[in-house]
Amino acid sequence: MIAIQTDDVNIGDLVIAAKRRGTGAVVVFDGVVRDDDITEMELEAYEDFAIKELEKIAKNATEQFKLLHVDIIHRIGRLLIGENILIIIVAAGHREEAYAGSRFIIEAIKGSVPIWKKELTKDGGRWVPGEHKHGSGKPRSNRAMNTSIFLLPVISVIFHLG
Amino acid sequence: MRWNSKSENILEEQEMMVKIRFFARFRELLGTDLITEAAAGTMFTSLIITVAKKNPEGYAAIFDENGVFHEYVILMKNGKRIDIADAVMTPVDDGDEIAIFPPVAGG
Repeated sequence: MIAIQTDDVNIGDLVIAAKRRGTGAVVVFDGVVRDDDITEMELEAYEDFAIKELEKIAKNATEQFKLLHVDIIHRIGRLLIGENILIIIVAAGHREEAYAGSRFIIEAIKGSVPIWKKELTKDGGRWVPGEHKHGSGKPRSNRAMNTSIFLLPVISVIFHLG
Repeated sequence: MRWNSKSENILEEQEMMVKIRFFARFRELLGTDLITEAAAGTMFTSLIITVAKKNPEGYAAIFDENGVFHEYVILMKNGKRIDIADAVMTPVDDGDEIAIFPPVAGG
């Protein structure tokens, strides 16, 4: 399932659906709205293109890490503190591939998928700057491996059967 | 002007319709899903300059004092990225969808 949507998803159901013959590990990445002295977060996307980018990222991750299943659900609209923003579910034969595939997907999303976040505060709001500052001009230094300062990544291995 | 090219010239002189989509902060300043007319031969950069000049703050968010896109601005035409250096000489065509946005911040 690759989706950009306003609605939340049932992560448990997705984990169950991700398991198939040969699955030894399922990794769930759940990016949530952190309480950074904000009231809400508003997200918008260039949906047509963002979906294509997510599909491309999922395909690349599947090929590179021999993944058995990938779900990427990115939410848009207004979200409250603690709500899910981005859910990535990856199934693989072994934990190494599952962890690496999940990490690859989140870093790729931060680098190329046209989605933006605005932190709403009681005094107004502020757009969250992207971690990759380069645009269509000459690229600056690569900041690809910076960890997120805007999300509280909750990464957990739900099943490790391998 | 060639004698027998009257109909061709009429076509060339017709206005084209181009859709411009700004996102995030640019959208707040300049709007989005703007259907704008452009004369045949209009270049990508000049079209966006014309549109952005309607709001000085929006213009300053996208262009520097020399009328060049800020380095961080991302340009797309029909789903394909356009380099800032190439946008000056990239013509827009009837029915094009142009997207202008700041660095992405999803995840």
